[in-house]
Amino acid sequence: MGKNLALSFLVVSLILGIMLGLQFRGSYMEVPAEAVPERPHALTGELAQLETDYQNLQADAADLQHKLLQAEQGTRELYAVLQDELQKIKFAAGLLPATGPGIVVVLDNIPDDEGFDSDSTMFAIGHEDILKMVNELRAAGATAIAVNDQRLLATSEIRSAGRFIVVNLHRLTAPYTIKAVGVPERLESGLKIKGGLVETLKEWNIEVIVTSYEELTVPAYTGPVNFHYAKPVEEGEDK
Amino acid sequence: MWLGIILAVVGLFMGVFLGLKIPINLPEGYTLYLGLAVLAALDSVFGGVRASLEDKFDNKIFLTGFFSNILLAVGLTYLGEQLDIAFSIAVVVAFGVRLFHNLAFIRRYLLKKWWP
Repeated sequence: MGKNLALSFLVVSLILGIMLGLQFRGSYMEVPAEAVPERPHALTGELAQLETDYQNLQADAADLQHKLLQAEQGTRELYAVLQDELQKIKFAAGLLPATGPGIVVVLDNIPDDEGFDSDSTMFAIGHEDILKMVNELRAAGATAIAVNDQRLLATSEIRSAGRFIVVNLHRLTAPYTIKAVGVPERLESGLKIKGGLVETLKEWNIEVIVTSYEELTVPAYTGPVNFHYAKPVEEGEDK
Repeated sequence: MWLGIILAVVGLFMGVFLGLKIPINLPEGYTLYLGLAVLAALDSVFGGVRASLEDKFDNKIFLTGFFSNILLAVGLTYLGEQLDIAFSIAVVVAFGVRLFHNLAFIRRYLLKKWWP
């Protein structure tokens, strides 16, 4: 019994001692003395550095965001301005329908009482008549003109092709309706002046009806716009 | 009996020496467990001393108590860690109270014996 007791006391105290020793070593001796104060210090410094970096980056991000917003706004404004300009130019070129006060001139051949066919070439409305009419209207300040709904552009032609008159490569026949936007009184007086176009045409046995409108719409040019040979002159390039 | 105490002291010193020299690095997370195991072991040892003073010492009870106390202390602490409850406090309190209790008994016994 005594021996047993001694043995178990020895074993138990040995184990206890080992545990104590490990614990001492674990809690005191393993930690290098100088590392303790240094590491938190370094980490604190690093943390402060990172925090300043973070602040700076956040400020940068805000700044860039602001710039991006401004750029976006600028782009939008620029786009609006360009769009506006484009609309204006399109309008000036006749690619948009125009509306406003103006007059409508209807030219028609009066059927000859006697001849059946004799009037067809001799006294029929020629392309010169239309040209003169358009010219007169332009002189009187018309800004948008269409012949039988063919809008006249800077490149539009008015020429005769047998029994037809060709405008914008479209063959037109009588009656010819010329719509012009402008001041109706001026346009009308320009045409009806004594010895003017209307009088002359009436002498040629052509029916001319001029009607003023408070508001009329001249359609847009619908054909293709192709410049095969003409090219814009580059800026600074003078030939 | 005195032989036992001498042997216990010798074993303790040997153990401490071995523990300091053993090339095992205890991971930092285990220090709590080891500390509680030490507490439980100390309690068992004092319990054993008391039992032997009372002449009620049973080797089987002593040894099983020693190991089961350690396991209980460590296991309870581990459980507490998992449940996020400080069960280690329960271990510390329970074994601490018993430790003081045993120590007080030993003190009284020795006082009665040597300084009546």
